[in-house]
Amino acid sequence: MNSFEFAAAPLRCPEAYGPNANLNQKRCYQLAQEFFKGGARRARERHGREQELIRRLEGPASQPMREQLWAYEGLSESKYLRFLRTKEELSNYTTIKTIGKGYFGEVKLVRKKQDGGVYALKRLVKTEMVSTGQLPRVRAERDAMAESESVWVVKLHTTFQDSTSLYLLMEFLPGGDLMGLLIKYQIFSEDITRFYAAEMIMAIEAIHSLGFVHRDIKPDNILLDQYGHIKLADFGLSKSSRKDHDSSYYRELLQRPGSSSQAPNRNSVNIDEISLTVSNRAQINTWRQCRRLMAHSTVGTPDYIAPELLAGQGYSFEIDWWSLGTIIYECLVGWAPFASDNPTDTYTKIINWPQTFFFPDDIRLHPTAINLIQSLIRNPEARLGRVAGAAELKAHPFFAGVDFTSLRRISAPFRPHLASDTDTSCFPVDELPQGEGFGNGGGGGGDGDRPPATAAGGGGGGEGGLVTPDMVLPFIGYTFKRFEKSFM
Amino acid sequence: MSNIFSGINARLRGTSSKAGSARSPISPISDDGRLNTPGAVPRKSKSSANLSSSSASLSSRVLPLPASPALSQTISMTSTGDEILHSYRLPTPLPMWLNPAHAKHIVKGNFMTLSARPKSVDQGEWVAHQVVEHYRNLWNFVQVVYENEADGKSICTATTCPRMSAGPNHSYTWLNARFEPIELPAIEYIALMQRWISGKVDDTKMFPTDAAGISFSHHPNIANTALLSGPDEWVGKRSGFPKEFHSICQTIFLQMFRVYSHLYWAHFVEPFYHLNLEKQLNSCFSHFLLTATALDMLKPPALEPMQPLLDLWAANGTFPPESKAYEYANVKAGTRLLQLGGMS
Repeated sequence: MNSFEFAAAPLRCPEAYGPNANLNQKRCYQLAQEFFKGGARRARERHGREQELIRRLEGPASQPMREQLWAYEGLSESKYLRFLRTKEELSNYTTIKTIGKGYFGEVKLVRKKQDGGVYALKRLVKTEMVSTGQLPRVRAERDAMAESESVWVVKLHTTFQDSTSLYLLMEFLPGGDLMGLLIKYQIFSEDITRFYAAEMIMAIEAIHSLGFVHRDIKPDNILLDQYGHIKLADFGLSKSSRKDHDSSYYRELLQRPGSSSQAPNRNSVNIDEISLTVSNRAQINTWRQCRRLMAHSTVGTPDYIAPELLAGQGYSFEIDWWSLGTIIYECLVGWAPFASDNPTDTYTKIINWPQTFFFPDDIRLHPTAINLIQSLIRNPEARLGRVAGAAELKAHPFFAGVDFTSLRRISAPFRPHLASDTDTSCFPVDELPQGEGFGNGGGGGGDGDRPPATAAGGGGGGEGGLVTPDMVLPFIGYTFKRFEKSFM
Repeated sequence: MSNIFSGINARLRGTSSKAGSARSPISPISDDGRLNTPGAVPRKSKSSANLSSSSASLSSRVLPLPASPALSQTISMTSTGDEILHSYRLPTPLPMWLNPAHAKHIVKGNFMTLSARPKSVDQGEWVAHQVVEHYRNLWNFVQVVYENEADGKSICTATTCPRMSAGPNHSYTWLNARFEPIELPAIEYIALMQRWISGKVDDTKMFPTDAAGISFSHHPNIANTALLSGPDEWVGKRSGFPKEFHSICQTIFLQMFRVYSHLYWAHFVEPFYHLNLEKQLNSCFSHFLLTATALDMLKPPALEPMQPLLDLWAANGTFPPESKAYEYANVKAGTRLLQLGGMS
């Protein structure tokens, strides 16, 4: 009586469908994957928080304390759920000031309308990134910042996008950057250098532990919080081993029948193309001034880049330790070891570093400082940090007596004097064009009281139908929302 | 009664308790009608009528039926998997998506972790969250069949799908402005449905997003957060969700279920299988079913068009035994499907 059989599976034939269907296929494929990846991650984290709550409720807490714990947890989880449901868009923020500018966009100090919070909002223009092959770098930056819970890494609160741009909403660090401090003080004492070097070791260790190589450690990327402690930013050049950080992965996604392959040359190192760094302030140091200006260009500065990276050879985590060596040198000496009038000369000097690297005669440095720098500015095989990572650097005599675990608790040598939570005195705002909003969608008012809509937007499923698939596809998975203890 | 039938028992408990009222063709209308949404009140139309007439002819051998029984009543404790499958009056050959080889997923592990409400979170807040997540997911698939190519044609058209149907036994009508049921091409039904849902979901009175209004759930052992219970209480009240929030969400889940059902019955092969998206569809839909049933947003009578897939997912381990979706499934039928697919 068994009459059951299954309909036979046809040969799969995706070619039978039009280009839009095939692009929607890729989109759908990726979004489903992202949904479960993100959902699983959030569920895991949620579960962890709940276990922690249960543990604390079972502890010796008093009844009022238990009530408070319970309410706190419920409220912060709920706040996060609303945050997840809220569609992020530019009009949720008002621009206060432009605080940085780079080739791909700019960084603005913004205030969130709903709760008055102050953030740094970085905008990256999609078309620029697609046409110059920068997608993997954006992805890398987003991933590095999104995954890190570290106090040493600039916190990414959320990311969102519209048809033209990607936005990264980050914590605002009012203290400016190490570059600003170097411009102001020109040279640091060994004690001060030791402090920043020690903090940089912790920061580099933090991103290495996530599997990321920063690749672009430089004074402009070392930001200072309100207490004067450092955090690493600008992971535009961060490289991890994941496949979506590989340029070829994105090319494949965008590949359409008939389109000519204009693949960017992966072997060429386009230094600094994506970094959005703070621009120059005073003219104390012309060399540094040039560095600042270069940060706006596609060329950028190779000053802190390890020779093996410039040479296009294989490289790994130790390139970041080379960069640290050059920064320590700069702090103590006053300029970067391979400083030149133009990037090409710097490039040549770095490649030929055994001939070009030297300490100036007129500057007296402690032998341990010299030894530390010499063990970092060195071939990768022999470089400090090659074998045991940060631990090797921490054990160096230059850091004798430094308690690395309590660094953030000690008082920083320079603490910014801030008048308010939107004080931008540590930023070269005067040299940046202070336009309204971000140029599209109007960040600065005029957007009325339109409530933040829930996502899944109109027929376009969130992206709108006017956008070409190229502008959507590679950016899937880009959106991110972090759970904060500060949701209270 | 032997415990061999525990799966069936559970299933019968799950359905029969609701079957009496909800199986009548009137009940779904009243479910939807309560919403009072002008021009956008969908209702189930043909499924029930078709069922009673055709079931007798298709499966009379195994099922000597009275005129209009609940499906669950047609399945006795001793029904074999085959008998249950026959009672579904599925087309022959069976749809490809019932083949266990094509009912697989892109994810491993327990989907329930994704839909488990954090205990301290208010139920309304959690339902709202799930509505939005599943809506985003579903729309991702709809987009594939919905969007026009350069020639102005989409995959789902008035020609391919002149009715909003879920297989031969179920189709859905839309209520027009005068509250008359009208038959629409699936694509138009889906477009109207989408507009209606986004109207609700984007309405911050219905789905508040202001962080100021939040609350937390009642903890039984923490006395002073005790809630009033009574006619003036409703799901989500503490967190500022309106009284009709719960029933609106039920309708949203029901509508989303209908769209998923249409995608399976009409578009599983074309385009999803051809485009290598069937595992993605399976994962999103099974997650949807687990969530919707766990939150009591979807109940057995409404699940009917996809019942055999529920059965299969209960049998192949997609639905954990402790889940409501598993409870609503007929594991015997699912096990039979696994056998038929050579996967038992």
